[in-house]
Amino acid sequence: MGEREFLRKIKACRHRLDFADFLKNLVFALGVGGAAGVLLQAASLVTPLYYADLYTVTALLLALAAAVFLSCIRPNTMEQAALKMDSFGFEERIITAYEHRGEQGEMIRLQREDAFRELSRRGDAIRIPLLPGRRRIVLCAALLAAAAVLAVLPSAARRQVRELHEIRREAAEKEEEVKELLEELEELDKLGEELRPEELEALREMAESLQSSMEEYQQAATAEDLAAAQDKLNYKYESMGAKLSSLAQSMQNNAAVSPMTAQSMQAMADKMQQMGGQSMSGAQTASGSQNGNGQNGNGQNGNGQNGNGQNGNGQNGNGQNGNGQNGNGQNGSGQNGNGQNGNGQNGNGQNGNGQNGSGQNGNGQGGNGMGRGTGSVHNDHDYVSIPNAIADSGNLSGNFVNHDNSEFFRTQNGLSWEGQHMSHEAVIGSYEENAYEGIASGRYPSGMEKVIKEYFSSFNE
Amino acid sequence: MSELDRSRLGDAAYMAERIGDCEREIQKGIVGQTEIIRQVMMAMLTGGNVLLEGMPGLGKTRLVATISRVFDLSFKRIQFTPDLMPSDVTGTNIIVKNDKGSSFSFERGPIFANLILADEINRATPKTQSALLEAMQEHTVTVGNDSHRLEEPFLVLATQNPIENEGTYPLPEAQLDRFMFKILVKFPSKEELMGIVRLTEGSGQPLIERQMDGEGLLAARALVGQIPIADAVMDYLLELVMETHAANPHIREGASPRAAQALIRAAKAKAFLEGRFNVSFQDVETVAYPVLRHRIIPSFDAISQGILEDDIIREILAAKQP
Repeated sequence: MGEREFLRKIKACRHRLDFADFLKNLVFALGVGGAAGVLLQAASLVTPLYYADLYTVTALLLALAAAVFLSCIRPNTMEQAALKMDSFGFEERIITAYEHRGEQGEMIRLQREDAFRELSRRGDAIRIPLLPGRRRIVLCAALLAAAAVLAVLPSAARRQVRELHEIRREAAEKEEEVKELLEELEELDKLGEELRPEELEALREMAESLQSSMEEYQQAATAEDLAAAQDKLNYKYESMGAKLSSLAQSMQNNAAVSPMTAQSMQAMADKMQQMGGQSMSGAQTASGSQNGNGQNGNGQNGNGQNGNGQNGNGQNGNGQNGNGQNGNGQNGSGQNGNGQNGNGQNGNGQNGNGQNGSGQNGNGQGGNGMGRGTGSVHNDHDYVSIPNAIADSGNLSGNFVNHDNSEFFRTQNGLSWEGQHMSHEAVIGSYEENAYEGIASGRYPSGMEKVIKEYFSSFNE
Repeated sequence: MSELDRSRLGDAAYMAERIGDCEREIQKGIVGQTEIIRQVMMAMLTGGNVLLEGMPGLGKTRLVATISRVFDLSFKRIQFTPDLMPSDVTGTNIIVKNDKGSSFSFERGPIFANLILADEINRATPKTQSALLEAMQEHTVTVGNDSHRLEEPFLVLATQNPIENEGTYPLPEAQLDRFMFKILVKFPSKEELMGIVRLTEGSGQPLIERQMDGEGLLAARALVGQIPIADAVMDYLLELVMETHAANPHIREGASPRAAQALIRAAKAKAFLEGRFNVSFQDVETVAYPVLRHRIIPSFDAISQGILEDDIIREILAAKQP
């Protein structure tokens, strides 16, 4: 064996050592990654950790990268390879010969020859294992398998975190939607020169309201929060749509405002209303009838019940009052909703009485004359009396119906019959509207929204 | 006896072979004790002094006498006693009267020989023990104003009884450090004892033949000094010595730099005796015990716990795997 062959053998050993080290690092890295994966997956079983799978894969990839990096930056030297070869019973002959390869002298020559001779004779004894120890491989495989098994185990925390993630995703989508609307509103706001101060103020309020909705979406942590935010937003859409629509109409009548601006405003109003309608239908299918529907339901559905329908209400969007005034005016006829305004407008429904007579409640009014005996039984809660004045004052008057004076009326009907009467539903509707506006503007403490909604929805059940 | 080929004194392979012959010849006269013979051979090849510790009657004197015969070296035995004076060892100036008048003449002591057996060295007073210091280290003897060079090769093999025995003076650390090896001579096994009895009490004594001479031994020493040592092995060796100075509750004082030199030389000699021309980790580990055991001073804790120097060395070797 010559020196070249001697060096070639050491170099071959070094390459093999490098590869063995790489495999060793690889197995170690996979083991570390697997251990990290086990910890992450175990943690995700008991605590909300949506990205446990992603983190596990990342840990494994990082470990692999570290293994490759370490193998690249710390290759074995020829001296290390020679020492490794010596560990197979060569008693440091190879490393000594390698280190003194350029030196002269009788003893050096003898040593080199001795090393070459021994390497030629027993070179086959050098067997550098490529794979790391079996125990390491088994441990690494076990850790990876454990991580994989843990990854597919179901748990309450995982279900919860998936739901939460879905909520956050939906919330983020909604945030984006609201953000776009806000930007469009800001575009409208830029037309400040053409708009009147009160119109600008209305736009600003809408922007603030939408901003508040965005914050609600950002803070939504449960399905209930999301639904509540959704309900509020739907309500706001409808409300804003109506406002924008009325603004657009007033702009059309205003010569100072360009038709383009009015059209933009109307387009925005249409968009809002459309979004409100879409969201509503979406909300119904999504979350059933628990919340929103019931409540806003009112708004609209008073409508549903009375059948005025989506249209009337949907358009006017404004709940009971809207109904009361317009809706009813239009289609209310014949039905009860009418009762509400019927009252307001037609007064005591003399006609109503005549018409509906025994009907339902409208009759309450009609109960008037004779009907009190019968009607009063179930009229008690159908009407709320709004007195003209409080207390038993001598100035009380309420002479709607040509009675001589309030004294007479009081004697006949009691103090409560003086003044204005509103249907119970209208009052509830009015309260409800105020309550929803309060929720939309964030007047109530966090957490009370649900209570308020449940309270009003209970009236519709 | 095969005559030493003086033309091949520089031939390492040949000399290694001849040294091997010497070892085998010594083994003919000494039953068992192969490890001790090997260690004494290492000392011979490096010029180091040896301290043999063991109970009387274990063949220490016989070993030295056999070595002197095999290597054809002059041999003197000095029995150390409490009343032995330094001049009894080194020699002294005496007045000599001749035709020209009186003059001082140096009368050589028993130290003037190639091989000195300082028997029961720890029975002498420290003053007399110290008389050996210069001879062991410098290979010279100074009496009055005159220094006298000792004949090479010069080697002191001292024996001492275990320190617990009555009437002994422990060797000072400075003197201990000058011994390359401290070899523990243990009681032979039953089989070895049988061999000893047969050898000494039988009818015929084995014939021990000369295999080498002083010149050949010096040539072999020169060759041993040229044996290369790899950096990794040297590093390991130095780490061992440094470790004796690291915080260790069992060590009061660590080994001196002379220990590192002794380790290197001894490891080279061991490799040469094995027909190898490089030092291995195993060589260093093997010679660590005789080289370090008298250079490490155990702490009080170690002594009170019955921990011996060899236990401490074993601990260091286990901690410092190559």
